Amino acid sequence: MSAKAIERSLWALFAAFMIAVPWIIPALISSFWVSVIAEILIWSLLAASVNLLFGYVGLLSFGQALYFGFGMYGVAIGIQDLGLSFWPAFALGIVASMTMALVTGIFAVRLTWHYFAIITVVFSLIFYFLALTNKWLTGGDDGINFALPPTINIGGFNKSLTDPIFQYFFVLCTAALCFLLMHRLVGSPLGKAFLAIRDNDMRARLIGLNVYLLRLIAFVLSGFLAGVAGGLFAFFGRYASATYMFYHVSGEAVVWAIVGGAGTLLGPLIGTTLFIIVREIVSTHWEHHSLIVGTVAILAVMFAPKGMVGLWNDFISRIAERSGAPVGAVELRTEP
Amino acid sequence: MSEPTLRTEGLTKRFGGLIAINNLSLSLAARRLHAIIGPNGAGKTTFFNLVSGLLQPSHGRVFFQGRDITGLKPHQISRLGIKRTLQIKSVFPQLTVAENLWITRQAGRGFLHPFRAATSDRQTRETVERTLAQIGLSSLAGRQASTLSYGDVALLEIAMAVISEPRLLLLDEPTCGMSPAETERTVSKIRELSRAVDIVIIEHDMEVVFEIADDITVMAQGAILACGSPTEIAADERVREAYLGRDEDEDYVEDAAHA
Amino acid sequence: MEKLFLLAMNGLIWGLIIALIALGLAIIFGLLDIINLAHGDFFMVGTVLAWATLQSTGSFWLAFIVAPFIGFILGALIQQVVIQPIRNTAMLSIVATFGLSLILQESVRITYGPTPGRILPPIQSTIHLFGVDYEVYRLFAAVVAILALGGFFLFLQHTKLGTWMRAVRHDREIAVAMGIPAGRVYILTFAIGFALAALGGVVAAPITTVDFRGGVDILPFCFMAVIIGGLGNLPGTAAAAVLLAFVEGVIQSVTDPTVARIASLVLMSAVLLLRPQGLFKGLTR
Repeated sequence: MSAKAIERSLWALFAAFMIAVPWIIPALISSFWVSVIAEILIWSLLAASVNLLFGYVGLLSFGQALYFGFGMYGVAIGIQDLGLSFWPAFALGIVASMTMALVTGIFAVRLTWHYFAIITVVFSLIFYFLALTNKWLTGGDDGINFALPPTINIGGFNKSLTDPIFQYFFVLCTAALCFLLMHRLVGSPLGKAFLAIRDNDMRARLIGLNVYLLRLIAFVLSGFLAGVAGGLFAFFGRYASATYMFYHVSGEAVVWAIVGGAGTLLGPLIGTTLFIIVREIVSTHWEHHSLIVGTVAILAVMFAPKGMVGLWNDFISRIAERSGAPVGAVELRTEP
Repeated sequence: MSEPTLRTEGLTKRFGGLIAINNLSLSLAARRLHAIIGPNGAGKTTFFNLVSGLLQPSHGRVFFQGRDITGLKPHQISRLGIKRTLQIKSVFPQLTVAENLWITRQAGRGFLHPFRAATSDRQTRETVERTLAQIGLSSLAGRQASTLSYGDVALLEIAMAVISEPRLLLLDEPTCGMSPAETERTVSKIRELSRAVDIVIIEHDMEVVFEIADDITVMAQGAILACGSPTEIAADERVREAYLGRDEDEDYVEDAAHA
Repeated sequence: MEKLFLLAMNGLIWGLIIALIALGLAIIFGLLDIINLAHGDFFMVGTVLAWATLQSTGSFWLAFIVAPFIGFILGALIQQVVIQPIRNTAMLSIVATFGLSLILQESVRITYGPTPGRILPPIQSTIHLFGVDYEVYRLFAAVVAILALGGFFLFLQHTKLGTWMRAVRHDREIAVAMGIPAGRVYILTFAIGFALAALGGVVAAPITTVDFRGGVDILPFCFMAVIIGGLGNLPGTAAAAVLLAFVEGVIQSVTDPTVARIASLVLMSAVLLLRPQGLFKGLTR
């Protein structure tokens, strides 16, 4: 069996599983795990936003929680204070985080490497402290609770996220759409330009790429992903809080993306799945699950520097080599 | 009399107290292959950096086909058709040979489509295939650039320069570090190219220079020492002196120029 | 006026302590090219070790020796086990030190407990200065911090190891070619970095709280000092730490601490953006 064929059948299996989750999982384990999977999908979008910058453009952002927070607060404030309905509130969250990414990105992408990592933390800290102090708007650490408006309300037909199965599919569709867009982006001329900048930014300038502008575009796109994640999370928890804007949240997303496999489409999803499942399993028995998260992070960079997807690709190409079929895993390229 | 391809007026570049390029005024005629030679630290690479926009001059101006390009950004200069290779071979190591050419070809356009597959562009695909065949890299199209041999990377660099349809090509020591066979292969490619494109080449290998150049400019200590046809240069007394009496301190200038 | 004096003085002394910690961060950053996200936790471990020493021996003073010593050993171990294997992939070190940070915090939460505690200053008396009764211990802390800073710079200038560290930071390849054991220098650098932070923790323990999250607040502040002082400029780092804390102290006298923190963060972004090093990074190849 060729690598391509293995990949294709795995994709089909994966898609079928994701669709069947709301029925299989309660039967096998418990319905609690359906919402865990929805949460994994949401957080994987934040990890994907780190991955878009680090894995495809070569910029390590340690401040993605800022844009997550803007998506989250956009939805919460939109519903609670502005009285918006579902979709306008979602749009407000996404637009707010993209605008914020544009404004901060104009400054941040002038820097690279360590300097970029540090300035993104600094920006996110500034807004974290602002969110803490401006309690009248954000609720500070306590946050804002809000009541869910209906998602669809046409004539008599009324659907809202309070229906767990509908909520799961809403999250699944949104996440799938984002990953599909990522997939299209990576294969497009714009995506190739990102890769070129990641590989060698001076050469990229010399062939005529506007490196600054392209980095800014990537930054805003990653703000979009983080904003969608934040908006979804607000809907999911009916809640927004400044705690989620702290740099630890950004740090966790970086860990998920790199452990899963930076520069690969599904790496962030795999990394997020690994860590959240570990957290959920361990935390019910033992409150000190961060000990395990920390250890896994260290072991992962020591023994799988290309992430889980990197390990998988090595494994696949070894199988393919043995059977003599050509290796065609171009899409799953690794390497930060 | 047609417009010179490249002209500079009083070009000067200082690094702190060091003068890397000193009041350089030169004019390179179109349709010729120019070589710039000179001892280490003469300011040759700094000159390329100034022309391609990686460095900004302290004084003076640069004109490309009559147009003032002083102060433009590297990508803007590149889009005008000035393409260059670097002294240390520089490609996109994680991309395949074909992808390197793809992106180089598409970089020149103002708009990069965000969601259509890069490979769906038939025109670009055909150009890439043609260039691969022309440079002799077709068999390596799917290989990652980081796995290529040194000579093949150099050819890839030249292919990248070619596919962007340059109007002026700046080659910085293209045969540096090559085996004699690789040098020969590269030199014949350069000569082939020079029929269609204006080329300026920095080269240390005098055999290569005298074999391919139409005009030679000799630089020393940031200024022009001599200028002329290969026969004139070979006979020039001052040029010989410059090569024999080389000042080692000057290496710092070159180092600073790369920093 | 009294309030201004008090807060400015507190800021100054706090800055001297931060300078100690930031220097550790700066040498690790400068020599190993690692962004150490666990550095704040090194400080926090110092405060906990001070508490532990006081609990087990009844003497706080002993902590001035015990904590830096344990920090040194831990630092050497961590460098060997965690940092060394991933040294040539600088970006991965961020993930590794983030993991380390989680481990240190959680270990302290398990052993010390989740509730912040206080240590009473070993010197209880106050002194009357400019109309304020000022704690003598804080003045003592300032003296210790100044002595440690001076000692560290003397060590860098006048010992063989210090010279090695400066040489490796300046140019690793030449240093190795000259026979300097770079591997050992890395271990010692990390160990000394941890020891300095732990010492800072002991000095600060009676002033601040002992808390497993105590390092989280310190970390961005130390990075600010390192950046504003100029990467690789150790005296600059120390000066920036003192200046920043002093300015924050002064701002605090007119507004609340969070606004003061925001002000210094904004100041830091301005410095970062106006420094050209980041801008031309791509050209050095």
